[in-house]
Amino acid sequence: MSEIYDIGYRHYDGPRLGRGYATRALAVHSLRGVFGLGRTARSKIVPFSLAAIMLLPAIVSIALMALAKQRGIPYSGFAVIMQAVVATFLASQAPTVVAPDLRHRVLPLYLSRPVAVVEYVTAKVAAMTVALFLLVAVPLTLMYAGELLVDLEGPPLTQEYLGAVLMALVLAVLLSAFGLAISSFTPRRGLGVASVIAVYLLSSASVPVVYGTLYSSGNESAAAWAWLANPFWLVDSVQSWLFGTPPHSIESAAYPSGPASLAILVLLIAVGLIALALRYRKAASR
Amino acid sequence: MHILATEGLTKRFPTVTAVDQLTVTVGSGVTGLVGANGAGKSTLIKILLGLLPPTGGTAKVLDLDVTAQGAEIRRLVGYMPEHECLPPDVSATELVVHLAQMSGLPRTAARERAADVLRHVGLAEERYRAVGGYSTGMKQRVKLAQALVHDPKLIFLDEPTNGLDPRGRDEMLTLIRRIGTEFGISVLVTSHLLGELERICDHVIVIDAGRLLRSSAIGEFTQATQTVTVEVDEGLEPLAARLTADGQTVSRQGRMLVVKVAGAETYDVIRDAAVDLDLCLIRLEQGRHRIEDVFREEVASV
Repeated sequence: MSEIYDIGYRHYDGPRLGRGYATRALAVHSLRGVFGLGRTARSKIVPFSLAAIMLLPAIVSIALMALAKQRGIPYSGFAVIMQAVVATFLASQAPTVVAPDLRHRVLPLYLSRPVAVVEYVTAKVAAMTVALFLLVAVPLTLMYAGELLVDLEGPPLTQEYLGAVLMALVLAVLLSAFGLAISSFTPRRGLGVASVIAVYLLSSASVPVVYGTLYSSGNESAAAWAWLANPFWLVDSVQSWLFGTPPHSIESAAYPSGPASLAILVLLIAVGLIALALRYRKAASR
Repeated sequence: MHILATEGLTKRFPTVTAVDQLTVTVGSGVTGLVGANGAGKSTLIKILLGLLPPTGGTAKVLDLDVTAQGAEIRRLVGYMPEHECLPPDVSATELVVHLAQMSGLPRTAARERAADVLRHVGLAEERYRAVGGYSTGMKQRVKLAQALVHDPKLIFLDEPTNGLDPRGRDEMLTLIRRIGTEFGISVLVTSHLLGELERICDHVIVIDAGRLLRSSAIGEFTQATQTVTVEVDEGLEPLAARLTADGQTVSRQGRMLVVKVAGAETYDVIRDAAVDLDLCLIRLEQGRHRIEDVFREEVASV
């Protein structure tokens, strides 16, 4: 056996970077965690299979454009059509971002370093947002690249594509703020998964119930507001207002006014972030 | 130079006063912070890290104010919490590299430092395995490694020997002593066991119910109670009487006499008394005085 020389303790006199760098490092670490990178093979299965499912419609779309010379899924409707997969991804992966640090009480190791609670939460939200954005924007971009290559008749729908990518970012912020807030209230991962999926199902299921009730009582304009209970349709209604895309609600039912939708969207994001901040202020003081 | 200094430091919670008018200074080297469970040790450390605002008084760590310059303090100190704090699904290397980055070290430097400190705390090949499968001793080493990885000027170790077996305890204490001497990093280590701190500390601070009982160099603790234990075969009574008559302070402990050492002449007096009374002297032993005894006396007198 070769001998190991003990060269003694060496001091570190290299650079010490600021809090911005630390926040970025935490965001990257958490983002890797969302996709199970640097973890066991088992923790990669769910995120990568869901990402693969998201790519399937894009591939079918490209094939349709190439062979049948007609468009498949519209860019603006992609997120709404794929909402069940996106919601499953959020429910399964949001708890992995926040729960372990709470459950295993890792938080003090972070807070005894220069980063504060605000930066910790920011990094976690950023990581989840980027993950969700990639989940939606990568297939969109693939479809757009396909459209450019196939060279369909007429100009490419660049504006609709860019609008959809922007709305994917907005959707990602909304979903991660809420998903993380909900899953941070329990240190148990399984419970977090169940809570997030339950909230999504509740918001989804309430749409037809509320819509149907109001519609049958002849209150059509009020019924339109029911769409906004679901985060995907809420973001779609804002997109429809900002970019003039057709509503992707069921049977293309009209949404209520755009500015109100945007206000609700901003309000919901704020509520999610505040809930998260309050949760962590409490956790930090333990 | 003072590593840390507090002035009338007070922390009140709604139902309890955790730190009460604490004024204390700590120099470089290894300092023990001793107190029973709930004496306010952990609260004091949180205040010193700038994580908990004090209700009153001031505290400075490395000449930085805890309320105004908390982030700056946390850049220069390391902290090993008392409780379990390691995520089970990552390897020790990955965790320590990540936490080094959180302290501001660039990625390559973080990797080098993590490898270095993990070697220093005695983790070899197992550092690539997930922490979940580690023994308590190994987990404690990882916790210590993450506190050292950014080469702090000062580290706070909260009950580092908690849950360790006697051998693990010894190894941990030796390591802490090395950190204070070879590594040149000042250490504030808490414990509720005085005996173990006695071996590694230069200075000991004793607190109880958030108040300072005593703060002094380790030498002063032991010097205060120099005694010699005398054991004879028979005739304990006459010996005790004779020594008392010669002006020594004698107390009886079972089959032995404990004589307070007034000076070098005490030994002569004991020897002469034994010879004169024709006693069979079995043992004459320097009293093994533990700071525990001092602690007991001081707690009793409060």
